[in-house]
Amino acid sequence: MFDRIDPRSPTPLYAQISTRLRVAIAAGELCPGDALPSVRQLAAQLRINPATVVQAYRDLEGEGLVATRHGAGTFVLDVTAQRRDVERTNEARRLVRELLAEAGRLGISAPDLRAAIDQELNGGED
Amino acid sequence: MSLAIETRDLRYRPGNGFQISNLSMHVPRGALYGFLGPNGAGKTTTIRLLLGLLPAQAGRITVLGQTMPAEHVAVMSRTGYVPERPHVYPTLTVDEALRLHAAYHDRWDGAWAAELLRQFGLVGDRKVGALSKGETGKLMMLLALAQQPELLVLDEPTDGLDPVVRRDVLEALLEYVSTHQATVLISSHLVHELERICDWIAVMDRGAMIAELPMQEFKAGIKRLSVYNAPDQLTDVPFTVLRRTSFNGSGEQWLVRGWTDDMRDFFPAAGSTLREVIDLDLEDGFVELLRSFREVK
Repeated sequence: MFDRIDPRSPTPLYAQISTRLRVAIAAGELCPGDALPSVRQLAAQLRINPATVVQAYRDLEGEGLVATRHGAGTFVLDVTAQRRDVERTNEARRLVRELLAEAGRLGISAPDLRAAIDQELNGGED
Repeated sequence: MSLAIETRDLRYRPGNGFQISNLSMHVPRGALYGFLGPNGAGKTTTIRLLLGLLPAQAGRITVLGQTMPAEHVAVMSRTGYVPERPHVYPTLTVDEALRLHAAYHDRWDGAWAAELLRQFGLVGDRKVGALSKGETGKLMMLLALAQQPELLVLDEPTDGLDPVVRRDVLEALLEYVSTHQATVLISSHLVHELERICDWIAVMDRGAMIAELPMQEFKAGIKRLSVYNAPDQLTDVPFTVLRRTSFNGSGEQWLVRGWTDDMRDFFPAAGSTLREVIDLDLEDGFVELLRSFREVK
């Protein structure tokens, strides 16, 4: 699940982790009641600072997506379908912002970009 | 902010050449503090000064709230140290080395030492001198962790080890940190490794501390800017320009420090255009910082 975590990115690691989990919850990849990996497990697995994992979980807790039960771990809460839609939309917009930034760097105009997206959606044929 | 290590105006000059002068260092409690610098920068010397293994000629050192080197014995009983070169007797077996080490540390966790021994695949009756480099690296980390220190001082603990061993060693370290709230000072040339685990970063060169700040601030604040039509003379610049290089006519690349996104307004006001803000990773940032520091000197 955390294959694409990139410590070299300017986006802080805790934000990358919380984003990844938010998407997993929105997509139903993580279901209500599922346990997140323990701080100790995830820190060792990703070889990152435990404080980074704690911060990511705390952010999700603040957003009402997960709850930490003392001594037991952190669990996914029952999230409404509407809430999942909101998270999905946010993620879609985040992806588009990335795409726009990259296109801007390369000097690709908005109409060209839109045309390319339509083309890909229609099966990538010329 | 409570500090695990603090030095003030530290001075050390062993001969006529290399010296450490006015070194101030602040390692917050609970931090994973990455200590970077090129070979010969003075990192190992600084570490040895901190731990009372070398006498400072001037300045103050406080470690875990106690004065060094006066309270050296008390401090070292709370500190796990992995030196640059292993300091275990080569004629002892691994088990004997563990028992010897355990005898000096009240808080030695024998059960965990046995568990780590198994995890690391170390054999108890092998002679320390016969261990491979990787096995020695694992043994050193094991000794430092099993004494359950409040502070870990690691001088290149994984440099020169293969990726599998490095992973084992780091996992054990991070597991310890997540369960014990220890402070870690780690020096290394493996910048990408530090970038993963550290939340503070310090850069040393030629005996001087040239940067010390939270990792995120370091990475967010140092940028390469692509600027057009920049004036020759800069006034009221809200950030620090470390270096300017020109390319194709009116274009320039600026290397800046202390950048925040709201500083974009500076460019139209100065009659120039900011074309792009390029992020640097820790390694780029470190190399650029070092280069500009040396140019000034």
